[in-house]
Amino acid sequence: MSIADAFITASFTVPEKIHVDPHSMLWLLPLVAAIAIVYKTTKIPKIKAVNFIREVVILFGSIVVFMVATAITLCVLAWLITE
Amino acid sequence: MASRSKEDNLFYLLIVGLFGWIIPGGGHLILGKNKHAIIIFVTIVLTFCTGLYIGSVGVINSVNAKPWFLAQLMNSPAVIALAYISKVGGYAVYARPNEIGQIYTSIAGLLNLLCIVNAIYWAHLRRMEPVGD
Repeated sequence: MSIADAFITASFTVPEKIHVDPHSMLWLLPLVAAIAIVYKTTKIPKIKAVNFIREVVILFGSIVVFMVATAITLCVLAWLITE
Repeated sequence: MASRSKEDNLFYLLIVGLFGWIIPGGGHLILGKNKHAIIIFVTIVLTFCTGLYIGSVGVINSVNAKPWFLAQLMNSPAVIALAYISKVGGYAVYARPNEIGQIYTSIAGLLNLLCIVNAIYWAHLRRMEPVGD
């Protein structure tokens, strides 16, 4: 097995070190991007680059904004209950 | 106007769905929607591989995480082989990497399920159109 093969195999057999901290929430961004891309692909019958990218960016932004708004609401709610 | 039998139509839809499952975007490829097929293939494979990279192949656990495995299975039948490798190799994964890896691979599977249903729907619409004017 070459070094490159060993490196690739090791990448997929050993988990990454991700701690439970606020930074780990950033892992949701690539997932949201994937969801926005695939969803828009299924909705648009004829794909044109500019139009498609615009639609994906709008959906991506909408999801992120809604999630941030939900998180803030929940934080405020938790603060009101515990204070 | 030519007519097609119900059985023919059902078989065609089944083939489209099956190809969509075997290769992400395969259903759209059969329908001639090449751009859709490429985008779906690249996005789903990348999402799935990111999940495997984060949590290792151990996130595919057909024994202790059956509901997650069902969602992961929607990616492709190749997931069965990965589950076997994971089981034999005993790749343990815990905590945050396990959670994130499972979420990525399962969401990729559910997105592929959406694409399969979408390809079948478009195939059905195409079959409903009048043929040969």
